[in-house]
Amino acid sequence: MATRGSNRSRLLWVSLLVTSLFIITLDLRGVSLLSSLRSGTQSALAPVERLANNFFSPVGDFFSEVGNLGRSKAKIEKLEEENQELKSQVILNENTLAQLESLKGVLDLAGKARYKTVSARVISKGGTGTFSETIVLDIGSDSGVRRDMTVIAAGGLVGVVKSTTASSSIVLLMNDPSFRIGVRVAGKQDMGILLGQGDKSYSLQMLSATSAISVGDVLLARGSSGDKPFVPGVPVGRISYVENTVGQLTKEGRVNGFVDLNSLSVVSVVLSAVAGDPGDALVPKAPRPAPTVTVFVTPSPTPKE
Amino acid sequence: MEINRLPKVILIFLTLFLIQEALISQINFLVAGFSLYLAFFMAWVIQDQRNSAVVTGFIAGLILDLSPTLEAPFGLWTLVLTSMSYLLASNVRAALDAELSPLVMLSVTVLASSFALILFLLIGAILGQEVGSASYLTRSIAGNALWGALLSPLYIPLAMKLHKVTLTARQR
Repeated sequence: MATRGSNRSRLLWVSLLVTSLFIITLDLRGVSLLSSLRSGTQSALAPVERLANNFFSPVGDFFSEVGNLGRSKAKIEKLEEENQELKSQVILNENTLAQLESLKGVLDLAGKARYKTVSARVISKGGTGTFSETIVLDIGSDSGVRRDMTVIAAGGLVGVVKSTTASSSIVLLMNDPSFRIGVRVAGKQDMGILLGQGDKSYSLQMLSATSAISVGDVLLARGSSGDKPFVPGVPVGRISYVENTVGQLTKEGRVNGFVDLNSLSVVSVVLSAVAGDPGDALVPKAPRPAPTVTVFVTPSPTPKE
Repeated sequence: MEINRLPKVILIFLTLFLIQEALISQINFLVAGFSLYLAFFMAWVIQDQRNSAVVTGFIAGLILDLSPTLEAPFGLWTLVLTSMSYLLASNVRAALDAELSPLVMLSVTVLASSFALILFLLIGAILGQEVGSASYLTRSIAGNALWGALLSPLYIPLAMKLHKVTLTARQR
């Protein structure tokens, strides 16, 4: 009896495995029914995600701050003092202020390059188990957003629109392992390919054997035909390490992105680049060091009484 | 699995999928992220009979494949969770005592979730998916295991309770 039961469950298992393989094959062959299932899910999920974002955005960082508990004690005392001062000032919504600040930054960037953009709020991000770095925006095709449009934040490139529904869109972030973008070194014409690695740093592969790159060089998006998926001139990152391996055909390196992809709240989708390639106009200015104030004191004898 | 149990199972996993996509995704976890869906699934399947486990694995996989942020081909999670459910319900369950202690549940859930993620990556890589750097993958899997262990007092009792609810009096 036990063997018969075991055989039956094995048969069921094998038939379900074959069904799964059949579904995978259909998807890989581009059957639209399966992709529309996912976009249908996105349409259904977007209102819930928007609602959840309203509740969760102030507390969403709680779990990432758990590691700072030890360091927080000294901070608490300092913050308590600051809190007293702040009470006398007008209480403003910090969350809204931060969003306003990012919006100002991204509009400055878009304005400099004369990109036609539409701003969006990040309402969710890709969950664990997907192994893909994505975010969900609260605007979609109703606002003119289409697949393969560039997404930017105040610092520079964020990613590219992967799919849209009427009221939401999914953006593939530039740190996704499948993300590739053609870049050029600002001030030079050397070109390369930037590859997402899943974490904060990116891998850079130069295309020419004669390319000369050095630490600190700024990389800009090379741009694509018809500005899709990438508009030209968007700051991508700064080279942090150059590999000098003997026998290497082309130079390789590591790059730090300009945008912190873990704390995105407001981004802009570039609808079109009105003025074409802005060249190096968007290269971020190097931070100016704060002047050190030196006070010279000449000792003088204390007057006798 | 009895036909009358199916709607309850589908409803539970759909709700869980909604919670995972709309709520858990909003949280910035310290190390990588946490898949409540996967952890709950493992805690569920380990209590199931072989036939029910396999069908539950197939359904849960299909629901997870609906995730719009997923880059992998549709059906990959179905394949992984169907395989995992059979492995857990036949091989692993057979090696354990009839009464599952909380510690055993915790270990099985965390290890099985990690194994499912690795299996997903492996099959994905075979199918031509980009998988990212080794440090990224290690951090993602280790982070999921860490949060799976830390939050186990919340989801394991829930999985046990809900599993019982779906059973008929005779099955209990």
